[in-house]
Amino acid sequence: MVTDDPGPSDVRRSGDDGDAGDDEARRYLDEVRRDIDEEVRRRRASGDLPPNVERELDQLFLAHSPLGGRGAALRDMLRLVDASVFIDPVVPVESRRPGGTTVKRGLRSLNLWYLRYVTHQVSEFATAVSRALHVLDAQMTDIRRKVDALAVPPSPVVEVGWAHNPDAWWVEGVTTTLAAQSGRVLHAACGDGWLVGALVARGVDAYGVDPRPPVPSAGLDLLDLRVEDVGPHIAAVASGSLRAVVLSGVVEGSGFVERNNLLHGAVRGLAPDGVLFVHSLTPASWAADDAPVEADMAGARPYRARTWLRVMGDLGIDATVTEGTDGRDYLVTGRLRATR
Amino acid sequence: MKVAFVTPRYGVEVMGGAESAARQLAEHLVAECGWEVEVFSTCALDHITWDNVLSPGDSVLNGVTVHRYASASGRVPEFYELDARLRMAPSEATLEQSRRWLELNGPVTPDLVDAVADSDAEVIAFYPYLYYPTVRGMEASSAPRVLHPAAHDEPALYLKVFDSTFADADAICYHTAAERRLVQRRHRVAQVPQIELGLGVSPVVSGGRSGGEILGIGDRPYVVSVGRVDEHKGSSMLAAFFRTYKKRHPGPLALALVGPRAAAITDDEDIVLTGTVSEADKCDIVRDAMVSISPSALESFSLVVLEAWEQSVPVVVNATCDPTREHCERSGGGLWFGSYREFEAVLERLCADARLRALLAARGHAYVQRYYQWPHLIRRYAVFLTTVRRRYDAARA
Repeated sequence: MVTDDPGPSDVRRSGDDGDAGDDEARRYLDEVRRDIDEEVRRRRASGDLPPNVERELDQLFLAHSPLGGRGAALRDMLRLVDASVFIDPVVPVESRRPGGTTVKRGLRSLNLWYLRYVTHQVSEFATAVSRALHVLDAQMTDIRRKVDALAVPPSPVVEVGWAHNPDAWWVEGVTTTLAAQSGRVLHAACGDGWLVGALVARGVDAYGVDPRPPVPSAGLDLLDLRVEDVGPHIAAVASGSLRAVVLSGVVEGSGFVERNNLLHGAVRGLAPDGVLFVHSLTPASWAADDAPVEADMAGARPYRARTWLRVMGDLGIDATVTEGTDGRDYLVTGRLRATR
Repeated sequence: MKVAFVTPRYGVEVMGGAESAARQLAEHLVAECGWEVEVFSTCALDHITWDNVLSPGDSVLNGVTVHRYASASGRVPEFYELDARLRMAPSEATLEQSRRWLELNGPVTPDLVDAVADSDAEVIAFYPYLYYPTVRGMEASSAPRVLHPAAHDEPALYLKVFDSTFADADAICYHTAAERRLVQRRHRVAQVPQIELGLGVSPVVSGGRSGGEILGIGDRPYVVSVGRVDEHKGSSMLAAFFRTYKKRHPGPLALALVGPRAAAITDDEDIVLTGTVSEADKCDIVRDAMVSISPSALESFSLVVLEAWEQSVPVVVNATCDPTREHCERSGGGLWFGSYREFEAVLERLCADARLRALLAARGHAYVQRYYQWPHLIRRYAVFLTTVRRRYDAARA
């Protein structure tokens, strides 16, 4: 729940948390990080630390790190593999017991021919595996570079003042429908909580999610608003736990896969007989001169209203469309069939 | 409003960790909101053995009523064998195996669970997710349940016995956004009412001595790491890193490990182990340090990072620990390391660059001032608990 002064998770995305001095400090710190990374690369390449020492220290670090810790790269892991491929057959012979060293040395001499034979094969195997992993790393790096070049950035939230406010033509119908029902309602993207606030005022158990930072707003102390990406949030909602999902400003510019995942996630989260509202701008509105700039930057264009009827129908949702009077937007209202 | 906390350890003797956080929340609700707060806990101080060392019964601590119950069993030797087996693939463990793990981990406290069931509190907060009192207490509670997971990315999080603990929570209180992301990757609880709260920083106390005097190193510059000196907390790794650093960078720099000793680390002329020290000594040591280091990869919040910033000391954290790294990224008050090489480069840079240290310290300090002061936090928490209760009542109406 977000109160008047939100928690620190809202800072990262805000970009307006500070002033020009803040931006300058951030740039300087980024530069420091780059300097440090470069210094680490340079020293690693110079080999100024004995490999066995570096390996022991890295293993100490990894011993209590979460598996695949944050930012871990395959190449870093391979460095540890490379440092471990040689299996040393010459075991240490130090001992605290009198004569222990002599006994151990004797045992080592007796067994060395055998251990050397075995460890040589193990080392050969480990080397072959390491090489294969290096080939894999090179190929993965290459693929990632190509994919990055082709990747469509996540669709931005599209907010247009005339459609996303408590007095917009479609809002009264949504709030009236939901006020008559009990259960949890999700609004994404919720903005400053304008719809969540309207729903809560009518007794609805509503909350909101938006990847953008919240706009401080008086009277929103009691609202449950979170700064989260919509897709991952919906993926983490328990099945059948929501009475309704309201999507507005999040479907217009999303690509086919992203839109599909969002829809499937929302449907999975709905309780039987749950309601899904999708508010969208029309393709014509998206192409108009006064369309939001996100329209130019998005990887896709809005569905036509009848396309929603088709895709929702395929998911077991009985849907109807209400179009705005000026043809700029529409509302799809879908109800999950209880026999889904 | 009457609130109850359920936590496996409670008291001024319990330093750091989730249980200490529970005590702070409880006491601030009493002091700043005037609420009635009670705590259900055990007689244990040691989270390894759960030995009953405190007397069972009721007492009052700083305005909070504490009900203590003896554990029927603590952590037993068989636990380690089962834990070693399950931690290899915890999500593959059966429900029965993970229930067994929970019982062997202790503290098994059926009397505490019965008391929770009978509590007339309007909201019950459970802290942390990992132990029997929370799992069984949540099952028994008839009041709305607020779960404070204090979760790390640890094998236990993936055990099936905790599925219902998360799923049945009426609300969740996270320390950080990183903790929320971690939990939501494992459990589908995004729709549950929740708050990202954290903890407040207490006012600094000073004994008036210099850190070097307390440590017995005079005017030598030093870096500090505060918290239990424990292998799992990264203390052994930090000591090894620092010794290697000193071999490659001879000079007066020292390392102070401040906290109770639970790892076999030997002190020498460059590493000072203080053991448990007074709050005033701790504050003085931190205040005079060049840098405060948090080597632990397993933190869900890390108050010591914020306490260093409160005293305008820059911090260095473990790069694989999402919550502490998130603090650093958001505040711009610290740097992080993911290997010895990075540790060396970061420390070398910080020791040589006073401007950088000052910038990090100022940004960290501002971050703490803005988000982690008790009056602000406890007001948010009180609003959250009130809303949880209101929502619960509305659902039952």
